[in-house]
Amino acid sequence: MTETFYQEFEVFSKRTPNAAFTHQFSLLAPNKEMALLMAQENFMRREPVVDIWVVKRTDVRGLTPDEKQMLTRLDNKDYRTTKGYGYLKKKWRHYEQQMLDEKEIMSWQGGDSK
Amino acid sequence: MYDATHLFEPEVMTEEEKLARFTERIENGEKIEADDWMPAFYRDTLIKLISMHGISEIMGALPEKEWVPKAPSLRRKLGIMAKVQDEMGHGQLLLRVVEDLMKPYEKTRGDLMDDLFTGRLKFHNVFHMPTRTWADAGTIGWLVDGAAIITQTNMLGASYGPYARALQRICAEEVFHAQHGESIIMALAEGTPEQKAMIQESLDEWWESLLMFFGPATKETTGTSKQDITIAYKIRTKTNEELRQNFFTKYVPRIQSLGLVIPDPTLRFDEESGQWIYAQPDWSEFKKIIQGGGPRSKERLALRRTSYQNNAWVREALAETMA
Amino acid sequence: MTEQERTALAALLYQLADDDFLYAFRGSEWLGLAPHIEEDVASSSIAQDSMGHAAMYYQLLEELGEGKADALAHVRLAHERKNSILVERVNGPGYYMETPEYDWAYAVVRNYCYTLAKKIRIDALKNSSYAPLAVAAVKINMELYYHLLHWQTWFTQLYQATPTARQKMDAALEQVLADFGDMFDYGEHGDVIEEMRLIEGQGILLDRWYQTLTPTLVELDVTLPEMRMSSNGRNGEHSADLNDALSTLGEVYLIDQSAVW
Repeated sequence: MTETFYQEFEVFSKRTPNAAFTHQFSLLAPNKEMALLMAQENFMRREPVVDIWVVKRTDVRGLTPDEKQMLTRLDNKDYRTTKGYGYLKKKWRHYEQQMLDEKEIMSWQGGDSK
Repeated sequence: MYDATHLFEPEVMTEEEKLARFTERIENGEKIEADDWMPAFYRDTLIKLISMHGISEIMGALPEKEWVPKAPSLRRKLGIMAKVQDEMGHGQLLLRVVEDLMKPYEKTRGDLMDDLFTGRLKFHNVFHMPTRTWADAGTIGWLVDGAAIITQTNMLGASYGPYARALQRICAEEVFHAQHGESIIMALAEGTPEQKAMIQESLDEWWESLLMFFGPATKETTGTSKQDITIAYKIRTKTNEELRQNFFTKYVPRIQSLGLVIPDPTLRFDEESGQWIYAQPDWSEFKKIIQGGGPRSKERLALRRTSYQNNAWVREALAETMA
Repeated sequence: MTEQERTALAALLYQLADDDFLYAFRGSEWLGLAPHIEEDVASSSIAQDSMGHAAMYYQLLEELGEGKADALAHVRLAHERKNSILVERVNGPGYYMETPEYDWAYAVVRNYCYTLAKKIRIDALKNSSYAPLAVAAVKINMELYYHLLHWQTWFTQLYQATPTARQKMDAALEQVLADFGDMFDYGEHGDVIEEMRLIEGQGILLDRWYQTLTPTLVELDVTLPEMRMSSNGRNGEHSADLNDALSTLGEVYLIDQSAVW
């Protein structure tokens, strides 16, 4: 019989307070406390990190190759995106106004609406 | 999540269709992931390649760690400690990739260690060699790692996604290793006559091993070579000889610029063929070394085996804490 | 500062510097040999941090006019060293390059007991009357949270794992405590060190160490063996282990001390 080599943990980390958690890699550890002790030094020795998650791999429910079929979509959903409303640009021009596009709207952060 | 898979007829594909689909994905430049279907020869080639790569990192930590306590300043002690740590870290990444590939065979890290001890799992020729002086630590950092960077960057686009991602991490750290090695070599090359002699002697000692590192040009040289399959399935792009030629192009001018003499009087760049002409290393010696007959093969394996066995109680104890 | 005070300050700095230098060295001998690859990588960071701390203390000595930091680390003979006996002890029989029979239980117990002592000293040094030392203490303290958590986790998990593990941990604790007696000792300049308020009194720190350790021991149902002083490293009295360690640590540096390496 071969030796037990613990269990697999998936390691996630945040680089900055505003960043989303990113998957880093996996490691073998006997339990989650040990997994946490190993995580930073194994995968983030040289980069900033503000938070870490370790998740036992058996607790992750992913997609089987077959189930990945559920991710397929028809390319007929431009009503969900700005692409379906591009004609407004010309319309607004007629009213001598500019369209509020994504770039414009996202520039309003911090209440600074010029 | 509700498991709806039973509602659908699984797509029934013959083995031939699966292989055709797989080959098509490879040709389209798609990445194969751990739980995707793959033909046994692809899986087995990856297991063989990556387990050798991974275990070489782990065995490679041993010759370098010999010089960690001896490093000649506080800063050098820190630098080489960080480097040996990275080697073990690279071993960790690669072994994790292999462990996932070995799952269908119900094999684990323990089996890899057993394969190493019984000689079924080989490691790179360079890590069978003695490191006799501090200059050897510099040569390993600069030139052995330089050779490793050339072979590893060649596989950054590997068709197997987990390997490609591990290599991304590894190559990013290799940049530090290369500069760490250069820094040691530069100090010796600019130092006292004794220091200069030390580095020249080290180059003389390591040159043949460096050429061997890339492997034989064709399988006729040593009887085995996996390079055809690895190229056909886009695990790597260049042949052993192309990589060796790259190494000459990148490193020969740099070595010579430091006033060092390469111990091969026949070495020259042939403008006509665009190739470096060089004296072949002794390939029968190469074969002997990787089969465990190198100058330090037995000692390094014994060291690995002793520490592995002495610590077995720790792994057994912590296995009890698994929850 | 009087000459006597300067000597006392240097003595304390040598104790701190030599402690971390030897502790980091013993940690580095484990590189590549830890029980688990992930742990090998993680504990290497602790050895590196500790070597970094030693370098900071040697730098303070250099600034005090004691000589170059690298020379202080590599040239001084065993009888000039002020580290505690615990950190100079070998990891187990056998040379690190051949067939070392290292004991992970001893590593865990030594590292845990030492790190706890280091944490208590560093907290006290944050209020040192010697400002450069207080500044260094604040910096070093930042890395100790991880070191302590790391070894505390190993210490408790191994004690709670299997009868074999517990037995090995008990034996290791016995061995560590037999050398622990000089850990908080300030050596022959102790009175001046305390009068100058470079650091709190040795009795206070030792009590604090016991108090901090007790809840863990109670939880694990462990009785602390008797603490003994095999010899006083703070006064330069050392075991043969230190001679061997120093000849390895200085091997290349001593080939040519004036060369740039």
